[in-house]
Amino acid sequence: MAKKQWLKTGTVALLALALTACSSGGNNGNAGGQNESGSGGTNAAAEGKTKIAYWTMDRHDMDFMQDKVDAFNAENEDNIEVEMTVLADNYNQAVEVAYASNQAPDILRIFDFVTYVKKGYLAELDGFMDDEFRGKFESVLAENVNMIDGKLYSLPNTGQYWRLIYNKDLFEQAGLSGPPQTLDEMVEYAKKITEAGKAEGAYGFASNFKNNSGFTRPAYAVGTLSSDTSHEGYNIQSGQYDTGMYKDVVQAMRQMKEDGSMLPGAETLDIDPLRAQFAQGKIGMYVNHSSEPAVYANQFPTEVDWAAAVVPTASGEPAGVTWVNAGAYLGINAHSDKQEAAYKFMEYLYGEELRVDYQEAGYGISVLPYVNEAAGAPEIAGIEGFLPTAYDGLYPATPLSITETKLEGLKMSDAFTRYIMTGGEDLDALIADLDTRYNKALEAARAEGLTNIEANPDFSAAALQSSLASAQ
Amino acid sequence: MKRKQLHAYVFTFPSLFLTLVLGIYPIFWALRYMFFAYPGYGTPQFVGLDNFFRVARDAQFWQSVQNTFVYAAGKLVLTIPLSLILAVILNRALRGRHLLRAVYFLPTIFSASVMSIVFYIVFNSYNGILNQYLMKLGLASSPIDWLGAGNAMLTVIIIAVWGAVGNYMLLFLAGLQSIPDDVYEAASLDGVNPLQRLWHITIPMLGPVLQMVIMLAITVSLKGYESIMVLTEGGPFGKTEVMYLYLYKLFFPLTSEGSSVQNIGYGSAVGFTTALIVGLVTMIYFWISRKLNETY
Repeated sequence: MAKKQWLKTGTVALLALALTACSSGGNNGNAGGQNESGSGGTNAAAEGKTKIAYWTMDRHDMDFMQDKVDAFNAENEDNIEVEMTVLADNYNQAVEVAYASNQAPDILRIFDFVTYVKKGYLAELDGFMDDEFRGKFESVLAENVNMIDGKLYSLPNTGQYWRLIYNKDLFEQAGLSGPPQTLDEMVEYAKKITEAGKAEGAYGFASNFKNNSGFTRPAYAVGTLSSDTSHEGYNIQSGQYDTGMYKDVVQAMRQMKEDGSMLPGAETLDIDPLRAQFAQGKIGMYVNHSSEPAVYANQFPTEVDWAAAVVPTASGEPAGVTWVNAGAYLGINAHSDKQEAAYKFMEYLYGEELRVDYQEAGYGISVLPYVNEAAGAPEIAGIEGFLPTAYDGLYPATPLSITETKLEGLKMSDAFTRYIMTGGEDLDALIADLDTRYNKALEAARAEGLTNIEANPDFSAAALQSSLASAQ
Repeated sequence: MKRKQLHAYVFTFPSLFLTLVLGIYPIFWALRYMFFAYPGYGTPQFVGLDNFFRVARDAQFWQSVQNTFVYAAGKLVLTIPLSLILAVILNRALRGRHLLRAVYFLPTIFSASVMSIVFYIVFNSYNGILNQYLMKLGLASSPIDWLGAGNAMLTVIIIAVWGAVGNYMLLFLAGLQSIPDDVYEAASLDGVNPLQRLWHITIPMLGPVLQMVIMLAITVSLKGYESIMVLTEGGPFGKTEVMYLYLYKLFFPLTSEGSSVQNIGYGSAVGFTTALIVGLVTMIYFWISRKLNETY
């Protein structure tokens, strides 16, 4: 009998636990839901505060940002209280589901600018801001980047500057004095690092091939710096796809795989496990962006002596500029009834003092002239290699996302990843097939009016050189 | 009688209502887009049967269907015998059987996504726990790429079996307890050995339960994708892409893809096709297994 009693109690406890787990999920939803209610919910009404929800996917700066949010909550005179939520790998799905169920936050980090605007997620910002504030951003506003049909929906902030990140200790151990300038050198260096370090489990190169970005991180950086016309496999001048821009970098990665210079298991590596391996001194080189100094200071503290350098190209001479991922930082929920409060918080986040602090602490490098003029050199280890050079630049938007919804067959990132990992295909035939399929898909997207991006014969990536920093 | 019927209607109403609102309505909501091109914004454009023609020539989708059958078959072939054997063993008056039943059932209540993260730590090739043990014991000279192109499907099947065995064991246990003891007693008087007992008494008498459990296992396996999504995202390069994961990505592009453009029109056509495939397989199974339903 006592045993049965015990079993019953156990079952009830288990059910209670399950219910608690479910209801805590529900609370998260309510946080967003409350924002839709207009009155701000009962708690908010009781305290007379306007509560707004802010969602972000940025983890590397979360402590800094939480401090700034706390400061805003304590000091703002409009009685606004911001609740910041950091969502990790499933950010995009969370945002989609939140909008679908009318529980989206009042202000959010933008993931896919054009699609968010087209879906009606974002409120126009023009009505909120005065000319003086807007004037600070004029030089970095662009159609399909933060504007659609001339209307402003977001503002840029920091840019992701892409670099080759390398372990100086492993380089030294392999007798190498500096980072590779050409792709051939990168292949050769990876081999030497592996030969010298394999016994301790260290390999020359890695990328997070678990998903598309294992290909796109190195390929987009090397591809843009090597090309005067193209980005994301799309020739901006001709308005057609030209995935051959990645031939050299794909061949280099295939060679490193064949040589055994790539970290075993790179096929299923995610970015954080990759960083953890790099922090343990197991990876010689990889390509990533300017969040890395903060990552190795906070998320994966490391003893490794590392640095960042401009990515290599086939010839060693840059033809264009390395793309900088910037343009749209925050957006205000078009369905929120607290847009005014959300905008005030947004304006606070663009305050010069906050942005200068952010930059000097090394969490990111701004593309905003007023920040770059006021900020001193960042204090965080490793940031030097990420600072803007004459060979960094902002590219216009390409129609890649919408093209891929019309694409039949493998995406270029999957096709190239398969080639890098397994070989055994004719790379030229693969590229020709990709171009045919992508151009057919683009034609269909254009015919349905899904994109207004057309050929831009005047575009030159070389002309973007020195646009963010002058040559030294 | 009427009163009884009223009770039946009252008690079935909540589940009927929820099924209609949360199950049937969303299906029709999605299915109406089968004949449209619709990226989740703007006006859906009528395209007739174009989406279905695209399904027919979509090699990636058919590859995912093939992968699904490999995954489901692998999972079933291992799960059903294992869970039946476990159920038979734990149906005996064994000391500690309650604890063992609970232990085997535990994986069922864990979140598939959380366990997939744990399994990633176990199976990854660069510092996975499994490889470290294998190498320490001298069973492997270099790390085995458990989640690489060659082994990924096997690994996701092993994980699926781990998650499913306890659940089916419990269903079999319920079935076993409905077999009268006197049949076994009569058999033991006739000098039947345990294997003969299993083959000639237990399995035939479990017939209807077995049929239902296998049917459940087939549909669940054909529809499974959660742990694969966490573990490999369908990779490497589509090797573990199953049809429901392929479908999921059309409606909800993964964050790692860098785009949030949905493909609702085409996704609906793919959804309809996958439902047809699962329905067809289930019907074929019912036809093949009709003998199991004969009660003894």
